[in-house]
Amino acid sequence: MSDHEHKNTGDVHRELHSHLPPEPALRVRAMESLLIEKGMLDPETVDAWVEAYCEKIGPKCGARIVAKAWSDADFKARLLENGAEAVKGLDDAGWAVAHLRVIENTPAIHNLVVCTLCSCYPHAILGPPPNWYKMAAYRSRAVRDPRGVLKEFGVELGGDIGLRVWDSTSELRYLVLPGRPEGTGGWDEERLASIVTRNSMIGTQRDLSIDAGQA
Amino acid sequence: MDGIHDLGGRQGFGKVDTGEKEVAFHSDWEARAYGIVRAMSKAPGWSLDKFRFTREQIDPADYLTRPYYDQWLQCYAALMVGSGIASVAEIASGHSQSGLAGPGPARGPDSVFETQKSAAPFERPQITPPAFNAGSSVQTKSFAHGGHTRLPSYIRGHKGEVRHVRGTFVFPDDSARGIEHAEPLYTVAFNADDLWPGEGASHLVLLDLWESYLDPA
Repeated sequence: MSDHEHKNTGDVHRELHSHLPPEPALRVRAMESLLIEKGMLDPETVDAWVEAYCEKIGPKCGARIVAKAWSDADFKARLLENGAEAVKGLDDAGWAVAHLRVIENTPAIHNLVVCTLCSCYPHAILGPPPNWYKMAAYRSRAVRDPRGVLKEFGVELGGDIGLRVWDSTSELRYLVLPGRPEGTGGWDEERLASIVTRNSMIGTQRDLSIDAGQA
Repeated sequence: MDGIHDLGGRQGFGKVDTGEKEVAFHSDWEARAYGIVRAMSKAPGWSLDKFRFTREQIDPADYLTRPYYDQWLQCYAALMVGSGIASVAEIASGHSQSGLAGPGPARGPDSVFETQKSAAPFERPQITPPAFNAGSSVQTKSFAHGGHTRLPSYIRGHKGEVRHVRGTFVFPDDSARGIEHAEPLYTVAFNADDLWPGEGASHLVLLDLWESYLDPA
């Protein structure tokens, strides 16, 4: 792409910024009404997407994948081999992420996921990313000072635990498979899923609490 | 491009705000903006990489301070202007004032499940066998071009080891320019101590990198 075109896109942004209403809520309303007038948007479809992401799609989808992996060794092996293939056929996770890869925490290894260049995240199995995942502090520091970042999340990682930080630079989407806590023997998948947190699947939490497990 | 978006390893941004309430959306307008972006018709050529490149060209001060979904919508506004679908005046007023037509038709509510299910795959049939294997030593190129790339600046010119050969995937540097071309993709591991010597780092950083970002080492 030529420098000329670069300048144009940057200039379009600056022009939009100076002409659009200052409040995000007003900018959103103006875009919605224009897109409807242009025949590019059905407001009921917007409602349907919002409803899907508020009620159906969220960390509980990822938690069910984790619980199944803890309960079914064959599924876990397939999940670690190719996450996208393994989750095909699961109800609402099956169509989730075209290029899902799952990385396993073990007693010797901890994994942490970031996207330094934008904010790539497995929306369809974890919902929209938290704000901190999209902000400069996390994106800049997760690759360079991950132990410091983990401390801010309350995770003191022992020096004997190897740390791997995955920068999501391609369309592969990474999900951390956290370790199954002690004291959960005999739990069914639903109960197991209830203790799996969003942050544990990003890697900003390591140890899961069994107190929240619904009997 | 060497833009503000390329944040890996930059310093001075302070602590992570870990106290955030865990909800899907933090305000009504955020939810609306998210829904609009997912629901709206897209013009041919508005690939994910073109969208990313458009976001990278937001003014740096705005990039760091404007809310995330607000930036998403502004990118689609800029794409509409760039594709001749809307004028800046139309976007500011929220009303169509010209004969500029959008790529229709609008998708109905039933499209949500189908759209999710058919998320566009980026893998392609193999064209040439991969040049590297798991275990290969590689060195990243040190290029910087003015277009879109997924080779972050913090990793350029460094040696790493291929951990996984992932298949053949659409090459983002070209895709952002509207050209589809696919290359072998690798997950490459780097020692953080090589990237930032003297800081006592002991972790590995793993990135997914396309073949043309890499030389044998």
